[in-house]
Amino acid sequence: MNIKPIVIIFSLLLMSGSALADDDCDDPVAGWQPRENLRQKLEAEGWKVFRIKVDDGCYEVKGRDPEDHRVEAEYSPATFELREMEREDDDDDDHDDDRHGKSRNDNASTNEDPVSPKGIVKGRPTVTVE
Amino acid sequence: MKKILFALGLAAVMAVPGYAQAQAREVTFTTQLSNYGGDGAYLVLYLTDADGQYQETLWISGEKSKYYKHLRDWARGSGMNQAEYDGLTGASVSSGRTLNVTLELDDALIDSGYQVRVDTAVEDMRDNRSDVVVPLTTEGSGKSVAGRGYVQSFVYNLK
Repeated sequence: MNIKPIVIIFSLLLMSGSALADDDCDDPVAGWQPRENLRQKLEAEGWKVFRIKVDDGCYEVKGRDPEDHRVEAEYSPATFELREMEREDDDDDDHDDDRHGKSRNDNASTNEDPVSPKGIVKGRPTVTVE
Repeated sequence: MKKILFALGLAAVMAVPGYAQAQAREVTFTTQLSNYGGDGAYLVLYLTDADGQYQETLWISGEKSKYYKHLRDWARGSGMNQAEYDGLTGASVSSGRTLNVTLELDDALIDSGYQVRVDTAVEDMRDNRSDVVVPLTTEGSGKSVAGRGYVQSFVYNLK
């Protein structure tokens, strides 16, 4: 069996993996600060934090910055040093890669509510009690 | 030959970050409570995958977050993280009343093994984890199911 094609494809995949992994944080876990500290720090700076999750060894924050722009930022978990900041304009294509394939459609709603951390629910629900 | 393989490899690599454009679909969840006779019920509507793993909060009725721990399965799944329910809460629902929640859900969630669950709790009465568990399917739309606890009937309608 000719394994050359398989080797080529796998090496390509690996190469792309390492290319994508450029922005990884490599702080040792022992030195990490709690994400709540980061939340407090950002909120003290005027942020509205929707969610903080760990991604590629960094703390990835979604929220609104003090200028009320929707942003996604990555911080080193130990030093809270800013690694990457991405501003998401409401009418932009959303490059947010939701791992479960549930990509959200920001074009449909420009509401200001910090709802739907994972983007499943679009906009604020309408609720009535009878 | 090599060129074809290269193109194939490249296509495979490029396919990884490709995402299908998702469509939203309007869904109304109607939860009718029984006449259990106690204080207003705290209840949460949330989504899980087919294994019951928490995915996302749809709505919480009940404004005091200190009581959210009584919505037990949800509390465990969501970690009661405020970011999970920010902007998705309202007043508790009294005995015998009906709660209607209408929202836009990603079309990809329907018929994909996701479940809608409702946990309920009433002060000085028992907590009901998974009072309602129903799969989110096109077929299940409009079909009323009975709850195990304070929920008398639960139905969702897809538009």
